[in-house]
Amino acid sequence: MVHISDGVLDPWLWESGWAITIAILAYTLSKMKTEDVPRLSVITAAVFVASLIHISIGPTSVHFILNGFAGVMLGILAFPCIFVALVLQCFLFGHGGISTIGINAVNMGVPALIAYLIFKTGTRLDIRPETKKKVSLFGAIAGGVGVVLALLLLAAELITTGEELYETTVLVVGTHVPIIVIEAIFTGVLAGFIATVAPELFGKK
Amino acid sequence: MNTIRSLVVLALILILCMALICPPASAHRVIVQGRVSEIQVKAYFGGGDAAPMADANVEIYAIKDGQEELYLTGKADADGMFYFAPKIGVSEYRAVVEATGHKGEETVNLAEGAGIMEAEQAEAEKEANLPITGIITGFGYLAGLAGIAMIITARKMKKKYENK
Repeated sequence: MVHISDGVLDPWLWESGWAITIAILAYTLSKMKTEDVPRLSVITAAVFVASLIHISIGPTSVHFILNGFAGVMLGILAFPCIFVALVLQCFLFGHGGISTIGINAVNMGVPALIAYLIFKTGTRLDIRPETKKKVSLFGAIAGGVGVVLALLLLAAELITTGEELYETTVLVVGTHVPIIVIEAIFTGVLAGFIATVAPELFGKK
Repeated sequence: MNTIRSLVVLALILILCMALICPPASAHRVIVQGRVSEIQVKAYFGGGDAAPMADANVEIYAIKDGQEELYLTGKADADGMFYFAPKIGVSEYRAVVEATGHKGEETVNLAEGAGIMEAEQAEAEKEANLPITGIITGFGYLAGLAGIAMIITARKMKKKYENK
């Protein structure tokens, strides 16, 4: 549901979406190191396939986004991860429009960066088996917040097309409650697990 | 007297037989009415479960001689269905369905077999299913991209060391 199709938004909106996306992409990719690439690829594969898992709720069908998860696992590289996943989803699955890849990347990628910020502030990146509880907690918060922020951005953009403010927000966020809960738990559990078995995976980001 | 009576009986039997043999209602006027009452539009999400696009906004455009004009607008029902009566003399319609940022469209041409034929239905169902080939292709692209990213970042590292 978070993939906006072609021809829904006004041109200025998706054009500025592309501008923001290209700027963030250029910055984050310049910070990429060789040792980040395998991790980035694996998480991108997960995010790419996640949107195929659907749950039918009420009048619509919702799917996983995993943007908060990407933020926790990848740091600022979550943005290129989401962008690449979106491009592949668009061309291979027909999710979302081509002109809206930019704005969709902003919708999901910027919340991913914010999720990382929450995770980083909460844990101070002090990730050891001993700090597992804290890592799990902030992982879960980041995983949930990433999705919520993405939905709020989507709702805000739909409102500019003339949809009802209250109705749209309630519909968009309400139908995604299970997604928010599942992704929060998933991210929290996984972050805790990695803190126990392979804390070096989080690395220096 | 007797002969007359037997003649009358014979005549009656004859009339009865004819009434039985003749097709019924031969003297009734037949009225046949032809009417195409509605075109059906169905909208649903892909991804295996084919969840209907309930309450989606529907716009129907009538296409005549390549000219397109908005014919009517409405809302799909809870099953993602929308019905409309065709316009006289127009056989081509474009249906645009939109719900919370999702948009899809389909052109229906009555002259060319009215929209969904069996082959098209099968194709639509295939599209709605899980795209296994798409997933595999995507992984292939990702592996390629990872390789390219590795080369670029490795080259950057090499340059850094050379400068030192």
